[in-house]
Amino acid sequence: MLPFIIGGLVTGSLYGLSGIGLVLTYRTSGVFNFGHGAVAAAAAFLFYRLHDQWSVPWPFAVLIVLVGFVIVVGPVLELVTRSLNDAAAAVIVVATVGLFLAIYGGLTVAVHDAVRSLPPFLPQTGFTISSVLVSWEDVITAGIALFGAVGLYLFMRLTRLGVAMRAVVDNPTLVRLTGERPVRIRRVAWSIGSGFAAISGILLARSQGLDALQLTFLVVQAFGACAIGRFSSLPMTYVGGLIVGVVSAIASDYVTKPPFSQLPSAVPFIALIIVLLVVPLSKLPRGTLAFRGLVSDTKELSRLWGGTIVGVLAVLLILVPHVVGAYLPVWISAESNFVIFASLALLVWTSGQISLCQMAFAALGATTMGHLVAHGVPWPLALLLAGLLTVPVGALVAIPAIRLSGIYLALVTLGFGIVMQFVIYPTFLMFGSGLTVNSTRPDFGPVSGSDTSVYYVDLVVVALVALGLVMIHRSRFGRLLRAMSETPTMLATLGLSVNVTRLMVFCISAFIAGVGGGLVITQFTVGSTVFPPLQSLIIIAVLAISALLGTRVLLSSAIAALLMEVVPGYATSFNSDHQTLTFGVAALAAGLVLANRSALATWVQRQSTARGDRLEHGPVTARRSREDDQFVSLVSQ
Amino acid sequence: MIADVDGRETSGLEARALCVSYGGNVAVSGASLTAPLGRITGLIGPNGAGKTTTFNACNGLVRPTSGSVLLGGRDVTRVGTASRARLGMGRTFQQVQVCTGMSVRANVALGAEIALIGRNPLRQFAGGRGQRQVVAERTDAALETCGIGRLADASVTVLSTGQRRLVELARVLASGYQMLLLDEPSSGLDETETAHFGEILTGVVAERGVGMLLVEHDMSLVMKVCTYIYVLDFGNMIFEGTPAEVRASSQVRAAYLGEEDGLAAVAGEATS
Repeated sequence: MLPFIIGGLVTGSLYGLSGIGLVLTYRTSGVFNFGHGAVAAAAAFLFYRLHDQWSVPWPFAVLIVLVGFVIVVGPVLELVTRSLNDAAAAVIVVATVGLFLAIYGGLTVAVHDAVRSLPPFLPQTGFTISSVLVSWEDVITAGIALFGAVGLYLFMRLTRLGVAMRAVVDNPTLVRLTGERPVRIRRVAWSIGSGFAAISGILLARSQGLDALQLTFLVVQAFGACAIGRFSSLPMTYVGGLIVGVVSAIASDYVTKPPFSQLPSAVPFIALIIVLLVVPLSKLPRGTLAFRGLVSDTKELSRLWGGTIVGVLAVLLILVPHVVGAYLPVWISAESNFVIFASLALLVWTSGQISLCQMAFAALGATTMGHLVAHGVPWPLALLLAGLLTVPVGALVAIPAIRLSGIYLALVTLGFGIVMQFVIYPTFLMFGSGLTVNSTRPDFGPVSGSDTSVYYVDLVVVALVALGLVMIHRSRFGRLLRAMSETPTMLATLGLSVNVTRLMVFCISAFIAGVGGGLVITQFTVGSTVFPPLQSLIIIAVLAISALLGTRVLLSSAIAALLMEVVPGYATSFNSDHQTLTFGVAALAAGLVLANRSALATWVQRQSTARGDRLEHGPVTARRSREDDQFVSLVSQ
Repeated sequence: MIADVDGRETSGLEARALCVSYGGNVAVSGASLTAPLGRITGLIGPNGAGKTTTFNACNGLVRPTSGSVLLGGRDVTRVGTASRARLGMGRTFQQVQVCTGMSVRANVALGAEIALIGRNPLRQFAGGRGQRQVVAERTDAALETCGIGRLADASVTVLSTGQRRLVELARVLASGYQMLLLDEPSSGLDETETAHFGEILTGVVAERGVGMLLVEHDMSLVMKVCTYIYVLDFGNMIFEGTPAEVRASSQVRAAYLGEEDGLAAVAGEATS
């Protein structure tokens, strides 16, 4: 037991350290950085390159990484995310998830083979406490983390800059009035945050190995620590890290048998979910709690336009198998992806909710479909049931959505998706111990199991889902969802049970995602690796990219499916690491564009009208030239 | 349905000895008021007097630490906001709440539609037979009452604050509430718009017999449209009476300006 507690304390203090950095940047800048873990992983890889490949002695390597992250990475992140601080929560999530994917994708592209171990660089000798060896390495690691945490605490209490930082958290405008520059303070916060992430990344890689994904998600475990610190208290975040570390370590001592052998890894996320479900909302920082969805484009197409588009699309889609040849499997994947994207678009664009666990819904649909068909349930009925049996899980996720919105809802759903992966995926209910479920090619009546018939059967499902979504958007429910994304309080004062509306939209979304998952499994035998939590992040990033062309649910889902499946399907050199990198960068850019949409529109308008001939004699020009004259006369006086 | 204006005062809204505190700060201590149907009741007071808190407690957005709220004689203190709305209490917001993605008509229709949904979750998807007709009728009537019929198909994004306030008013009218709570409807409006808004309010009360509770800064509006006024200061109800009595009260003047010639000066010109 004792070795586990000691190991847990060491790892936990690193969770605490990175958690502190995250809370600090979140509170001073209003931007919750989902990419914090990827920053840490990047630091670990940079250290590895310096120390192991270029033989820089470890103290210098640590110093170089640390200085680089404090001086370069922190300010760059501050600059990139500056315009996000009062953006809609969905935009912040999308942009920082984009950052996550960009860094993670960049690392996997730069470092080809995935897992390496970092040779030990700290002293391995140690001393014994009641016959348990405690290495100096562990002591130094925990010591560094504690030093960082205490140092920051004192800095915030005692120095002028620290006090100014605490002031920025409360009211940036007021701070600006005192002559202090909030931007400078935020830059310092991002520097400290990045520095802490870098140190925890290097030290975690020491014990956990150099796997970009694993390292990134290890630091994501700091979210649990942040939750225990209620996203505001730095000391409590550190303590939270220790708690999470120790409980995980003890759990890994007790729970070793499958299917629950991965439960210990889920502990931080279980803590995250419990805290967000239990802590009174007034105790959480309200910075980005404000409920502001993205207003969906709602203009209905005219009958003529709508009819024409549907007709042309129908003909094109029916022709696909005759045109694309060997690429047909790509298009079948695009069909299932369209359905999954549509489930997410309904949630995000129309109703202003957010879900970072959509792939868990899809996974449940896929496994249910596989099990049902294997037990002889007819294919169409199995697909329907795959959707329906996912609904209770959607309802479960809707419970946090009733209390939470914005960042916290995103965090809870991310945690839920990860817990699903660790705890439920390996059980017999889903993938079982083999972690795969056999494919269920439709083979009923006139339908044979060929690719072409799979394509057409899936196309029918896609058409039904699209039709259903159109009906929802034209119905009373669609109007309620759009209104809810803007002002749920107003709807409540009109007498609407808004919670019921939220519950129902999550149920519908889960149903559609379940059906989408059911379609995924019509083509291939799938394993649990098809539906990792990372994939939930990727799909929301891709959906955000498509949103640059508007937030119509069907259009953006279709574009997203093309980006996700068809483009990489044809450009095969564009492998999954490149995709992650590209989607990450594009999602970050998309998030920034969405956040600055109105400012950009104004800028574009100004650029185009300034050159316009008709405005040469307009009132603006007249006033401007008059102001110029006044200015000239003032100067010449 | 509509209570006798002169006689029974139990219909409409009644707050009894409301106390609200945030943490250790007492925002409202023992405020009581009655806002019967068929007339406009005013709730005024200087900044920070606890008007909006009282208002939110009546509406259910804030839970009082003690005291009770009665709607139509029924105790609704423990009833949620949406349920209070279903019992006939609607409200508008100081920061106008309209859906910018929708037309004026769609915004107003939302009020009528939600009133028809009631507690039935399935009704959120579609109305029963003939509901479309009812929604259209109520929406048109409300648009007409508020004089924004000609704006019906415009997008709310192009409207002025004054017009948006009318959209909000039309929306609660389309819901068919008995009791309307209006939170500082004159803020952001100029004098003409405020006067126009006041005329519409008195028109609505005369036509539909609803009750209104008006929280206001603007003295000219309150004095013109309210038949009875409550004055709140530092969380206490310091005075109540007709506009004439309020105008004459030295206590109210003292609360507003801390000196003798207070309210007369304030009442003389429209403040915002």
